Amino acid sequence: MIGRRRREFVGPIEAVEGGWQVNLDVEERHLLVRLMGELRALLTGPGDHELLARLFPTAYTDDEEKEAEYQRLMREELVASRLEAIERVESAIAPERRDLLDEEETLAFMQSLNAVRIVLGTMLDISDDDPDGDLATHHEGDDGSSGDSPEHHLYDFLSWLLEWTVRSLSPS
Amino acid sequence: MCRRWAIPAVDGNRVFDTRHRRGTLEGVPTTLEPTEVIDPDLSDDVSVDRPWIVIVWNDPVNLMSYVTFVFQKLFGYSLEKATALMLDVHEKGRAVVASGGREEAEMHVFRLHEHSLWATMEQES
Repeated sequence: MIGRRRREFVGPIEAVEGGWQVNLDVEERHLLVRLMGELRALLTGPGDHELLARLFPTAYTDDEEKEAEYQRLMREELVASRLEAIERVESAIAPERRDLLDEEETLAFMQSLNAVRIVLGTMLDISDDDPDGDLATHHEGDDGSSGDSPEHHLYDFLSWLLEWTVRSLSPS
Repeated sequence: MCRRWAIPAVDGNRVFDTRHRRGTLEGVPTTLEPTEVIDPDLSDDVSVDRPWIVIVWNDPVNLMSYVTFVFQKLFGYSLEKATALMLDVHEKGRAVVASGGREEAEMHVFRLHEHSLWATMEQES
């Protein structure tokens, strides 16, 4: 599927006159909607799930009091912001949706897509340098696994989709 | 989007004295200002003068292109400057991407966190 697109040089999302065109098939849209739902469940679930650690980084590394204040004031707002973006994405990539995305929807798509990658990357314990473009690798885990699991393939798919989304948003 | 920036801005030596704005209409309470303004003793605390810096750290997941785009979008940097900062993050492990007052730095950190970047802030040494 991805190979077909690459042969035809049609990206999964592209800037066109009047907005952004999403060229995902129904299965891919269902998958992404499901992932958005799973991210929402993590964000609204009880307690601090360990998979969310990278989504809520420390702001003050040298001042515990200020850090506690920051987390108390900003965490709830950060969750609300992420949930708002998820809701926007679910509407934007719904299988029945066929009209163009606006910039706000495309930016929300980019942010939420990356948030899912962050969670998946945490789950896969991604940590090594990646010569292909990441700030670090996502192919080899510290446990010596092959990186060929369904989760790794999903991670690669999300990376590919994010790359195209960023490209579509970047000034030419 | 509505944001609540509940942390008051106390930058440098600025003291906002609003006593002169208290109500003057007879019998009509027109003031929301505090009844007392306390001048902070800054003699032993020179740290309030130092600007805050926003640091983005290397992480194993974010794409280079994504980080560059976020720097352009949030800070209005040129592609060249955003790319240079991204490469600093990638190669040196961190980059200072902005500086300013505490409230401003905190807003930048929040927006970077919204984009899932590993950002922290500290006072410039």
